[in-house]
Amino acid sequence: MSCNDFDRMASAYLDGELADEERRRFEEHLATCDACKTELAELKRLTEDLNMMRFKEPGDEELQRYWSGVYNRLERGIGWILLSVGAILTLCYGAFKIIEEMIRDPAISVILKVGVCALIAGLVVLFVSLLRERLVVRKVDRYSREVER
Amino acid sequence: MEENEAVLLERCRAGDKDAFGPIVKKYAGRASGTACLLLGCPDEAGDASQEAFVRAWRNISRFDTRSPFYPWYSAILRNVCKSRLRRRARRRTVALTEGHRDSSSDTDPVFLAERNERRDALWHSVMKLSAPFREIILMKHFQDMSYKEIAAALGIPIGTVMSRLHSARRALRETLAGEGS
Repeated sequence: MSCNDFDRMASAYLDGELADEERRRFEEHLATCDACKTELAELKRLTEDLNMMRFKEPGDEELQRYWSGVYNRLERGIGWILLSVGAILTLCYGAFKIIEEMIRDPAISVILKVGVCALIAGLVVLFVSLLRERLVVRKVDRYSREVER
Repeated sequence: MEENEAVLLERCRAGDKDAFGPIVKKYAGRASGTACLLLGCPDEAGDASQEAFVRAWRNISRFDTRSPFYPWYSAILRNVCKSRLRRRARRRTVALTEGHRDSSSDTDPVFLAERNERRDALWHSVMKLSAPFREIILMKHFQDMSYKEIAAALGIPIGTVMSRLHSARRALRETLAGEGS
């Protein structure tokens, strides 16, 4: 084993992730190379220091504040859904009524009627297309698959 | 998984928001610290980890209560942080063209337990690493994951885990040495 191979395997050796044969070859090299021995000792110290690091547990007050933040977002989420559904229904009803009135009104020119109908049809096509795209992305998205695990 | 947690998660699946509180409180510290390391900045950590809890709640019906909660939540958190990093990269491009300075340079180790001079220096050095290096250091040392588990979580071969972790540790040593000199 060369010093380059040694360097490549040093982290895995310290983490106990080398196969038996690799480990034996690694230790053989270690016994004969002082430079690699020093290198490994430094890396070991760093690894041990990293292993000692832990995340702080927040105090009760902080935890309560944190949970309130999450809870408020959950509530607002329902609010946004209801608002969106309400807005879509109202807009759809309004658009339907406007078109109905417009078609019945003989004073409005045919060109304007066709223009408004094309505008609304275009919006519907775009909305459906975006919705379909979102659903397809959701199906193949790595995030969604991880959520389902 | 503790029996108590499994019961709470079953109640969550039934729509009981109050049962989600103890779960959130149990993992809040770990989640905020994880977000801080993934994002490389403590300012957004609380917000990102809360957003991930909200997403977890919305998808709780897809969670298998026989599995542990934290690895599942952690995958969601990782994706929330990645989206934020992507958005930040886009904003930074705009900011740089407009001559603005990046303000997310504060790396105070507020999420670290049992602090001392050496650990603070180590934390600062970890925060200076690139996002993939911070992520692999987090998984190995803060989440105590094996190479196999890291490889599965990141979707990369074990050999890549080995080399990336080693490169991250080398970079960390160099940064520490640079700070000490």
